[in-house]
Amino acid sequence: MDVAPKPWDARYFQMTFQLLFLSYGILFLQWKAEWVEYSLYIGTGLLMQWTADSITSKKIISPFQWHSGGWKSALVSCFSLCLLLKTNQWYICILAAVLTVLSKYIFRFNGKHIFNPSAFGIVATILFTKEAWLSPAQWGSGAVLFFAVCCLGLIVVTKVQKLDITLAFLITFAGLLFTRQIIYLNWSFDFFIQSVSTGSLLLFSFFMISDPKTAPNHATARILWAVLIAAIAFYLSAFKWMNSTPIYILVFAAPLVPSLDWLMKAKRFEWNEKLFQPKHIQLKNS
Amino acid sequence: MKKKTIAAFLLLVFISSDVWAFCGFYVSKADGTLTNKTSQVILVRDGDRTVITMSNDFKGDVTDFAMVVPVPTVLKKSDIKVVEADLFQRLNDYSKPRLVKYYDRNPCQQYYAKDQSVSMSEVVVTAMAPRSKKSIKEDEYKVTVEATYTVGEYDIVILSAEESGGLYKWLTANKYKIPKGAEEVLEPYIKSNMKFFVVKVNIEEQENLGFEQLRPIQIKFNSPKFMLPIRLGMANADGDQDMIVYAFTRNGRIESTNYRTVQMPTAKNIPLFVNTNFGSFYANAFQHQWMQQNQNSLFLEYAWDVSPSNYVKCDPCVSDPPNFEDLKNAGVWWLGKDAYNDYVNQYEPQKQNVFFTRLHVRYNRKAFAQDLVFQETPNKENYQARYIITHPATGDLNCEAGKKYLKELKERRKKEMDMLSSLTGKGYDDWDVVMNIEEDETIADVSYATLNKEIKTEAPKKKVGKDIFMASMALLSMITMVGVSRRRK
Repeated sequence: MDVAPKPWDARYFQMTFQLLFLSYGILFLQWKAEWVEYSLYIGTGLLMQWTADSITSKKIISPFQWHSGGWKSALVSCFSLCLLLKTNQWYICILAAVLTVLSKYIFRFNGKHIFNPSAFGIVATILFTKEAWLSPAQWGSGAVLFFAVCCLGLIVVTKVQKLDITLAFLITFAGLLFTRQIIYLNWSFDFFIQSVSTGSLLLFSFFMISDPKTAPNHATARILWAVLIAAIAFYLSAFKWMNSTPIYILVFAAPLVPSLDWLMKAKRFEWNEKLFQPKHIQLKNS
Repeated sequence: MKKKTIAAFLLLVFISSDVWAFCGFYVSKADGTLTNKTSQVILVRDGDRTVITMSNDFKGDVTDFAMVVPVPTVLKKSDIKVVEADLFQRLNDYSKPRLVKYYDRNPCQQYYAKDQSVSMSEVVVTAMAPRSKKSIKEDEYKVTVEATYTVGEYDIVILSAEESGGLYKWLTANKYKIPKGAEEVLEPYIKSNMKFFVVKVNIEEQENLGFEQLRPIQIKFNSPKFMLPIRLGMANADGDQDMIVYAFTRNGRIESTNYRTVQMPTAKNIPLFVNTNFGSFYANAFQHQWMQQNQNSLFLEYAWDVSPSNYVKCDPCVSDPPNFEDLKNAGVWWLGKDAYNDYVNQYEPQKQNVFFTRLHVRYNRKAFAQDLVFQETPNKENYQARYIITHPATGDLNCEAGKKYLKELKERRKKEMDMLSSLTGKGYDDWDVVMNIEEDETIADVSYATLNKEIKTEAPKKKVGKDIFMASMALLSMITMVGVSRRRK
């Protein structure tokens, strides 16, 4: 086997940042730490993932040999739930975690799951139960831009994940907001800064829409896809006064991905690919 | 009574000037001197419909009163109403932060514990605003008067405009004194297709009606916009302005979607000497929390299910909860026509649900660049800003249990004083301490004055909260996990 360092799985990066956000919220933003809910999200999510993995591999997987990557995805999704989804009921936590993990196995097309698991879990739970909600302003705006720069910087340096979707989405969304708020409506500049420096937007663009498993395979399709989501989300929030629009649009537009994949053919993404190795390693291997 | 004379008063100063407040601005029709206190708004929302009631505690000559509020639609006459002013007083009394008293039992004797609650004294906070003057210039205004009504003691004009300059000129030409800087804020509203709800007092009607005080105005409209336009109100204000929002919704609490909504710390044990000064304590606590939250958060002060079917509408209650009439007057339209206070529609009880949220916002131009936008959440958790004082046991404590009690009391009082400084940022020395001489003498060793000296000599303790611990554990385990799994490969 090659002795080159193992590629850095993007999901570790995501988990670290998600935990950092959670700690920041609890330590500095006085979030009420909902340990029961966090444990329910994570516990249920992992249990579901383990059950699903056991069923698909037709044997009971020992927890010690379970490193097929399944638990990493489940954990990333569950951390997203901890960060975003609010509820007062324990059973809603369980339902959300179950929906999140199950969506990967139920809604499949051509060997690929259709919905981003946590986005689906969140949207389905909110729409079906009406007992959960999102708090788009829970982050304040203080450190958000700082976090955004950190994420961006680290991704560029470590090449841990692709930035095409994230950037396409952010540029389109912020550009449309800027055009409307500053150029057209003539609000002051801090009005615009307040709009873009929300933690929800940051989480969405770096950790949700960028999910390589549910995005279109072809690079051009990915950009189109991100621009489309940004445009619709902007329209609904600016003209229809809806909240947290990007995450809803991501879920409702997800069924379009298979057709984009069909129109523009490209290789499907797999975790731990060479793609995610630092450049010098790629050179060495090739 | 023993008294220390250093008082801790913050911002409880009344400053007079021609002022605007909350949603729109109060504009002076002349150079009179106007004053207004904290503004109060009732916000009722379900689906796309909003009812806003704006309190009017305008204190100057009524001929000087004028108000401009941006609204999303052209209001019909039936959308505008005048309501009684005491509604605000009742809602405020019901939901304001409260002090709860407990009495310790003398462990050497047999007593019954009492508990009672006291509401806070009125906290008066004022906004300060500079004056402005502008000469009138006749021009083509490009302003459309959509409607004019007389409702109660008010003359109302609804305007739409094509450009802010025209609107500005129209207002000045009609002798409304517009604060400097308002013009640039008018433009975004005009371009967002907002209308302007302009109010002044009809002196004749006011005399006919016989009301001395100006009554609150209530407007209703259908629009997806669930917001309070505060930006116009601070067009030119350098100082901080306070607003209390009383919201009624069907499903649960409201919160802001563009600024953080934070709970005031609650259920905290604070020193006994705050008893006489609770209003000042809360004003300081609010100011301190507000500073700690970078001045740009909204604070939750009360949240409760006030549906007719819910019998416990407060605990402890400091005044009567809003009854059916109050809810109706506030604009809660979905309560059944023939329903009375304890009426529950047993077939569709959720149709009668009403949830009450009280938010306190202190805003200034620097920290609030945007208008406040809200959303309704399904969060039905009750909340109240509640602070606890405990009277010590009195009488002879010379028994085994009594000594143990004094030891515990000492620890508890130290914690109370820590809590006071963490809540208000001010310590014992800043307070006007008034103590009951009997309570102080029987327990001289554990008096706050003695403890204060002790605390000062102690080294400051480093607090490690449970949450901090849990969070760092989570972070550590994460790092370990990454390490282990990389090694395994």
